[in-house]
Amino acid sequence: MDEKEAYTQRLKAAVHYTVSKLCQSTAADCEKEMSRQAMAAIAETTFRQCEIFAKDLEAFARHARRHTITVDDVKLLARKSTALSSHIQQKSEEMAINNQELREKRKKNAAKRKSKEMEGNEEGETDQIHLNTNSLPGTASVDNCTDIT
Amino acid sequence: VSTRVLPKSYVMSVFKHFAKTKVSSDVYPVINDILQRYFDRLAEDLEAYSAHAKRKTIEVEDVELLMRRQGFVTDSTPVTVLIEKFLPLEYRKLLIPVATSGNNVVPHQRR
Repeated sequence: MDEKEAYTQRLKAAVHYTVSKLCQSTAADCEKEMSRQAMAAIAETTFRQCEIFAKDLEAFARHARRHTITVDDVKLLARKSTALSSHIQQKSEEMAINNQELREKRKKNAAKRKSKEMEGNEEGETDQIHLNTNSLPGTASVDNCTDIT
Repeated sequence: VSTRVLPKSYVMSVFKHFAKTKVSSDVYPVINDILQRYFDRLAEDLEAYSAHAKRKTIEVEDVELLMRRQGFVTDSTPVTVLIEKFLPLEYRKLLIPVATSGNNVVPHQRR
């Protein structure tokens, strides 16, 4: 229980740090000051909103009979306001393009490594197969995760 | 004049039931307008949810998800509680068959 509380505190501190950085940059843009209390309130709101987001996303993923939350779920979450949903749509498209590029690069690298190792020695073959199985399907799910954050 | 979403007498009786004060009859146009928007939104959301589950038919779980997002259904108040609280007995029988089925298992098991 105590450990859990400490963990929550750490999370809150991280959120507070990021929120205050964002607030400061926004305040500088508008040439206005922002009180520490206001920033703390925004940080707390962000933290609680995350709980709601998490629950909704979980419900959406379960609704589509998935265990992994994907971009579709996030899009569904942002349907409330059209401006937000169009923004997220745009971002997700950008990310899809970036991901594809990354994946292609990785594939090329993997192919290079493969050919090098094939030239080098035969003993590395088992290692390399292991590596491939790790990298190819694994990276896809990791990419999905980064989409959400 | 906008079309009536639901009959005036029905809307007013429900509204008066939940309002704890006297209700003047000129609120009806406003409620009607709100209901219009509410149902439009409802249809859009349900469509999105059923498409999300790769279906073309809106099913009970879509409605449940919608009510969860609206905050009516939570972990402490499941749908069945809301059904028992707000729906008349005939609908309750339809939606919660367990309560009236005696010792029979519903849905019936295939052999």
